[in-house]
Amino acid sequence: MAKRLLQGNEAVLLGAVKAGATYFAGYPISPSSEVLMAASVYAASHPELRFLQAEDEIASANAIIGASLAGAKSFTATSGPGFSLMQEAIGYAHKLGVPTVFVDVQRVGPATGMPTMPGQGDILQTRYGSSGDYTSIVFYPSTVAECYEYTIRAFNCAEESRSPVVLLSDAFLGHLNEVVDLDAIRVPVVERTLEPLASGHTRLFSGVATYPDGEPATADADEFIRQYEEAKARRLEVSERYAFHEYGWNKDADTLVIAFGITRRIAQPLAPHFALFRPIRIWPVLQDELREIAPRYRRIVVIEGSDGQYASVVERVLYRDVYRVPLLGGRMSLEAVREGLDRIGLLPAELAEAAV
Amino acid sequence: MSYKDKVKTDLFPTIWCPGCGIGLIMTQLAMVMDDLGLDRTNTVMVTGIGCTGRMGAYMQFDSVYTLHGRTLPVAEAIATVRPELNVIVVSGDGDMTSIGGNHLLHAIRRNPRITVLCNNNEIYGLTGGQTGPTTPVGTKTVSSPAGATFSPVNLQGLVNTNGNAFYAKTTVYHQGQMRRAIKEAIEWPGFAFVDITSQCIENNGRRIGFPSANEMLNYYRKEYRQAPPGSTQLANHQLGIVKGRAAEPKAEPAGAGAGKGSGEA
Repeated sequence: MAKRLLQGNEAVLLGAVKAGATYFAGYPISPSSEVLMAASVYAASHPELRFLQAEDEIASANAIIGASLAGAKSFTATSGPGFSLMQEAIGYAHKLGVPTVFVDVQRVGPATGMPTMPGQGDILQTRYGSSGDYTSIVFYPSTVAECYEYTIRAFNCAEESRSPVVLLSDAFLGHLNEVVDLDAIRVPVVERTLEPLASGHTRLFSGVATYPDGEPATADADEFIRQYEEAKARRLEVSERYAFHEYGWNKDADTLVIAFGITRRIAQPLAPHFALFRPIRIWPVLQDELREIAPRYRRIVVIEGSDGQYASVVERVLYRDVYRVPLLGGRMSLEAVREGLDRIGLLPAELAEAAV
Repeated sequence: MSYKDKVKTDLFPTIWCPGCGIGLIMTQLAMVMDDLGLDRTNTVMVTGIGCTGRMGAYMQFDSVYTLHGRTLPVAEAIATVRPELNVIVVSGDGDMTSIGGNHLLHAIRRNPRITVLCNNNEIYGLTGGQTGPTTPVGTKTVSSPAGATFSPVNLQGLVNTNGNAFYAKTTVYHQGQMRRAIKEAIEWPGFAFVDITSQCIENNGRRIGFPSANEMLNYYRKEYRQAPPGSTQLANHQLGIVKGRAAEPKAEPAGAGAGKGSGEA
């Protein structure tokens, strides 16, 4: 098919359809609403995609879990406060081991915040947002074409890991229009892995700790740890096959820039002066890759749309301090990147002159 | 086949307290399931949190033990993806009408073909007997020492905001009537809500003056009366079934006769 102009949020919907999604539930919220609207339009002419505009994000999140158990590949899309409301259900999906996909088009928070402005402040929420321990798998594309590609991969990874996978986007990327050729993006689709409800079994899909026969295991640490370790091992093993990242720009520079999502695009003019590491798989953190690459550089700068969320993770993994360029309040622009680098004394002279 | 084949009797005794009303609901549900030919290939159970939520674990079906209050979104999605299935929700009154209240409001509005059995014991039993959204005004509980302040939620009124919905009131004492209500609810081609008054002797009944579960059952026997035939509205302590206009069957359910709804109580 010919090239076409496509928006990031619409690319997510097309990626989901390509991956075999047959159930969407969501609640309108900027800047993710185009996914919901595109799903409703698509479902109107493709009844195999079931569509629910639910009463809230809590219902949406629980509905996609029910749909997945019933046999449908399912997904939702939300943002900021909506993603916060979904955290309980995300924990539930982890506990059950249900494959499904949550799309979070980030805006500036907390609370209602700046609904139409881009942010990257949900990095830690995608990892730790629900209560208890669980192993998150999260991807974050940087282009409209990647929104399509990584939505398919998110569905694939959800099936293989039997867990809810989060696809991060942001207000900038979600509303970005780019020319793409979707047919040039070929990702094999992983088929359903979970046997649907009413297949002749008597299984109990329980959020409560239970033994395999359904009896409560609510005070048995050994059983809890056995189930937890089994789920964790599966997710870590599967996510190894999804260790997507980009390492490039000027690898001989003495400073490594870490940027992801739309921030990596914004920072593109830095290319001659810095090396770049872009994690696409945000969680589990790309520990091995970071530990291999980081020692080659005197300095590391994390440019991100939050006050150091990913930077704190990098510091923990590398046991060393990193520089931070936080892009806050939706000010995600090259100008803001320049200002941030200037503040820490790392703005190259050529870029400083270009700004004048 | 016997109704006992619907229950995992090997897991007995259950965790429910002696004198609890939930087992009486499970028995009648199992009997109806046997009558209607519901089995593990055509039926799914969805249960909430609280003592009632344990029922799914004791029955011979695939069962989804949801988060607190979230039975209805899960059940509705299952019914959407698999319209041929019978989706039976079993949930307590607190789960269904308080924390899950918004979902109840909208499930009633959207009218999916699911059956809700609400174990209404007028208390938060599992957590120790706190006042709930269905606790009668004045009832002293561990969280309302001076008596419950607010009127109970009007379940019949809520359900009847959709003219196609099905509402039945019954109690665990009135076993025959409860069985008819459950049967007709499962056969109903849209949203069906069975409001089952039952006793929580350990965490409510004894504190409000009942020496044993038997006295609570006797109280239901004396206090509750069948509504006159043709009633379209049930008064307080009246038993009956109020059916809306029969909705168009959304799909032929396996093992149960759909589309039999009439406009009569």
